Amino acid sequence: MSGQVKDSPAGEPMTEAFLEVSDLHAGYGQARVLHGIGFSVGRGEICAILGPNGAGKTTTLRALSGMVKGRGSVTLDGTQLLGRLPEQTARLGVAHVPEGRGTFNDLTVEENLRVGAYLRHRRGRRARSERVAVAADLERVYGYFPKLRERSRQAAGSLSGGEQQMLAIGRALMLRPALLLLDEPSLGLAPLVTRELFRIVRTVNEEERTTVVVVEQNAQLALDIAHQAHVLESGRLVLSGPADQIRQDGQVAEVYLGISVQARKGG
Amino acid sequence: MSTGELTMHASRTARWARPLAALVITAALIATPYYFAPFRVFQLTMVLLYAVVLAGLNLLVGYGGQISLGHGAFFAVGAYTAAVMLDRFTTGHLATLPVAAAGCFLLGLGFGVPALRLRGLYLALVTLAFAVFLPPLLKRFEHVTGGSMGLTVPKPQPPSWTGLAEDQWLYFLTLTVAAVTLLVVRNLLRSRVGRALLAIRENESAAEVMGVRLSFHKALAFAWSAMFAGVAGCLYTWVIGFVSPDSFSLNLSITLLAGLVVGGLASVYGPLLGAAFVMYVPNLAQDISPAAPGVVFGLLIIAVMYLAPTGLAGLAARARQGVRRCVEHLRHTRRRPEPASPAEQTGPPQPEPQPLTAPPTIGKG
Repeated sequence: MSGQVKDSPAGEPMTEAFLEVSDLHAGYGQARVLHGIGFSVGRGEICAILGPNGAGKTTTLRALSGMVKGRGSVTLDGTQLLGRLPEQTARLGVAHVPEGRGTFNDLTVEENLRVGAYLRHRRGRRARSERVAVAADLERVYGYFPKLRERSRQAAGSLSGGEQQMLAIGRALMLRPALLLLDEPSLGLAPLVTRELFRIVRTVNEEERTTVVVVEQNAQLALDIAHQAHVLESGRLVLSGPADQIRQDGQVAEVYLGISVQARKGG
Repeated sequence: MSTGELTMHASRTARWARPLAALVITAALIATPYYFAPFRVFQLTMVLLYAVVLAGLNLLVGYGGQISLGHGAFFAVGAYTAAVMLDRFTTGHLATLPVAAAGCFLLGLGFGVPALRLRGLYLALVTLAFAVFLPPLLKRFEHVTGGSMGLTVPKPQPPSWTGLAEDQWLYFLTLTVAAVTLLVVRNLLRSRVGRALLAIRENESAAEVMGVRLSFHKALAFAWSAMFAGVAGCLYTWVIGFVSPDSFSLNLSITLLAGLVVGGLASVYGPLLGAAFVMYVPNLAQDISPAAPGVVFGLLIIAVMYLAPTGLAGLAARARQGVRRCVEHLRHTRRRPEPASPAEQTGPPQPEPQPLTAPPTIGKG
């Protein structure tokens, strides 16, 4: 892997925990999916949650954003997130990019982005300055994703899968999130597009110090940009640590992540 | 909101064509009552009146993605509110309009609450129940509503300085209300609230995690929608001067929904086209087959939906697209007379708006 961009946080002292998850249980009706997981993410870090199908990765994100009810404790900068509605969680600066993108297909690209700024509506004296700020953020997002600018008047449904994923992430950035939750951004995308997408996520993280939790099946890519990683199996964390270490752990990598250690050494 | 800022690549002709078209249409609308017989003017008044209900219904069904089979009942509530006020309290006509609007808004808000938990067919069923039980209820409270005999109330009289006949005055009143309604709905949809509504229709959970308050917007969409039905009902009382429970049967609710779908869901002009359909096509059906007009009406609905799945407004948009493409093609060939291979002739650099997926909120034409 010559394309490694990450600086290793392994030796540094842990930054203060920004997102703190402990003993999180969640599920759907009778089906329990998460059986008490706990991890923490430092401010400005990228955290990858890896694991096979059905391990509970998506459920973890949904519990964080309030889309499913969870038991236990999830705090963001000291504020309890559990027991809130998704819209309330969004108000606290948590932007969730759901699995399968969830773009609004009949709206144009720009309208999609403006929905992202929905919560930034202000009345009275601050209305104008906020409108200017939203316009600036549109430019910022177009800066990260120039393709979106080209297609700003086009219906989101007519974009390619990669562009839609960019739009979904761009829309989340319009919220000016403190915490960005990405649910399998690589789903159904060509490897080259995915790589580009992850590079941009990394750039956003570096430039804006946005804390990111990314759920991925493509462990290799996620580990390339992440600082910390957690491996989930049947609703329990089986491995946590700095991304580098997880990658180096040959056995775990082979068993859970499907990364061939031999191939890695060769590359 | 300034989503229109980026329409810099709109064709050059559009800059003067749009205000000109607006001017011509306005002039035509104002001139109409002077050139047509009173009966024709009355029919046009009814078209405008139906356009008000359908614009409100469009907000709920077209943009909100919910179904109401009870809008005839909201219409009836608006009509009866105005009629009872005129009958009992001899208020001025103008006073009835805000009362009918506010009453229906609150009633709609009440119905919006089940809309939070129910959706699709289940919600349709609840609203259907409203449409079913309202006429018998109106018959029951005879001392207020006049029972099945209904109420006859005076129509608004034109002020003498206008020199207008009654039908012309009613036409202008309705025209004003309809114009304001369409403008309000259009601006509403272009605003933050409109985007929130569309986002909910497209993907509820994605809208939710962006911070859109689902319950608030869903209930409000229902309330607005009911309010416009109430406004139209009030106009109905003004125009007809008579209300009875049988004028607001379940059939009315269904006809309204059918009219909206035929006119074009989630389209700015759909309600107008749908209103014309609701007004004129039953008469046409009567002319074609006096024995079974319902059959002809039904067949015409099927025909329209088969030929234009996105409604009459969709058909009009497609026609406009075709004309525009033709014009562009002509301009293209005139500018470059040398025969270029068709493969080289790439289209204009800007993406063509998609006829079927383009959101109605852009309002390009």
